[in-house]
Amino acid sequence: DKLLALQPVPLLVSDADENESTDMEDDLEESDPIDRQEIFDLIASISDPEHPLSLAQLAIVNLNNIEVIDSGKRDEIAHVIVRITPTITHCSLATLIGLGIRVRLERSLPSRFRIVIILTKGSHQSENQVNKQLNDKERVAAACENPQLLGVVSNMLSTCK
Amino acid sequence: MKLLRSFKLHNDKIWSIDYSSGLLATASSDLRIKILRIGDIGSDDIDEKNKENDDDDNRLLDELDDSAHKKTIRSVAWRPNSNILAAGSFDSTISIWSKEDYQEDEVAGNNFSMDLLAIIEGHENEVKSVAWSQDGYFLATCSRDKSVWIWEADEVGEEYECVSVLQEHSQDIKHVVWHPTQNVLASSSYDDTIRVWKEFDEDWECAAVLNGHEGTVWCSDFEHSSVEKNDSMRLCSGSDDAKVKVWKFDGVNEDSEDIWICESTLPPVHSGPVYSVCWNDDGLIASAGSDGVIAIYKEDETLKGKWNCIEKNEKSHTFFEINCIKWIKNNNDETLLLSASDDGHVNMWNVNKN
Repeated sequence: DKLLALQPVPLLVSDADENESTDMEDDLEESDPIDRQEIFDLIASISDPEHPLSLAQLAIVNLNNIEVIDSGKRDEIAHVIVRITPTITHCSLATLIGLGIRVRLERSLPSRFRIVIILTKGSHQSENQVNKQLNDKERVAAACENPQLLGVVSNMLSTCK
Repeated sequence: MKLLRSFKLHNDKIWSIDYSSGLLATASSDLRIKILRIGDIGSDDIDEKNKENDDDDNRLLDELDDSAHKKTIRSVAWRPNSNILAAGSFDSTISIWSKEDYQEDEVAGNNFSMDLLAIIEGHENEVKSVAWSQDGYFLATCSRDKSVWIWEADEVGEEYECVSVLQEHSQDIKHVVWHPTQNVLASSSYDDTIRVWKEFDEDWECAAVLNGHEGTVWCSDFEHSSVEKNDSMRLCSGSDDAKVKVWKFDGVNEDSEDIWICESTLPPVHSGPVYSVCWNDDGLIASAGSDGVIAIYKEDETLKGKWNCIEKNEKSHTFFEINCIKWIKNNNDETLLLSASDDGHVNMWNVNKN
């Protein structure tokens, strides 16, 4: 959470501008910053790994638990913080859900985004452990080379547009 | 600091680089290891025309067989005074490569090739770092399986015998590094600690645990400049807590355990995880990480243990993360800095010593 204290989060107003973020990388001119609604739209329809419902339907992700720090400048680092709330405090799939969200965002957002995924306070009995694992670059990279894990993640993401 | 060159080498993350005798080796998520000839580039070599004519392809000597590893190559290390390269991979194995004797003045690419000499198995899962001892006698490897293995290598680099498995870290081990003159090893871990290991009666034991970082320790490096003085061993470390610390050996306690104290926490520069630290022969420490900043620190000449940040270079690889930095000496014995990034580039920098 230290990272979040560094800068106040700018108030972002959704302007419903549906930019396809993947096409942005060549153009270095300033553009509209990506806002929390866009992030929410990217992850809301991810399927829960064990229920036939989406992460938004289960309130694991919701709009108010997403923060974005983005100047809109395409040559500057931007930050996204997604706080997730598992349905039960001993949810063994919390790391898998977090990984699914991370993979979805890494594939959709430009490389200038640093993605932080953490549990909402008190939502899990192993909160610190899960947070640490979800944000360890090396562990995430290794998980994405594990065919079994990747298969499960692909299923979770198959309901995304 | 001044950018001398930027080499576009991989289409994916570069995790690790190592340099020896004019040759750069890279480790990448794209399963490739590249060998590049860069020893001839010097600090005054900033002529734009030179840069333009300097073709990466011309400098690329070899691209090692990408079927040797099935997953990300995480770490590479040249064996000192030899023609051997070790590479550790997420596929849990270590590959050993050898090159023919090579002369710097040979035409680039001319007859240069490296051959696979051995594959070392033993770790249960991802290998994260490999490092040779200063005499090239030992190879240390570490893994997510929470162990450091110490291997004894034969002279030609074909046979490896495991002489010790060190299992005292409680979480995965991110990095191993040897002292530049002594058989002392430091390992950095996801358990937030660094452990210092020494040889006792033909076995290896943990001599000290360094507690102080508030997050994964990604990397450490021993001080080079005081190698003559045995009693003043120091180590710098970089962590997920965005801090760089300097640790100092402070004698032995009554249980004959080594005492290490945290001598300094360097001035805060980084806003994210510090993935790499490196100490050069002139006593400068460099650090780099997720925020794309390369920081250079210099110790106060009169007040030992007091450090100043003398350079903060932002956007060193535009907005990409830096995974590894290394001080190197070129063919003219000049000290330069290399950085390797998620953008697949290795950048080469000239750093002002003051």
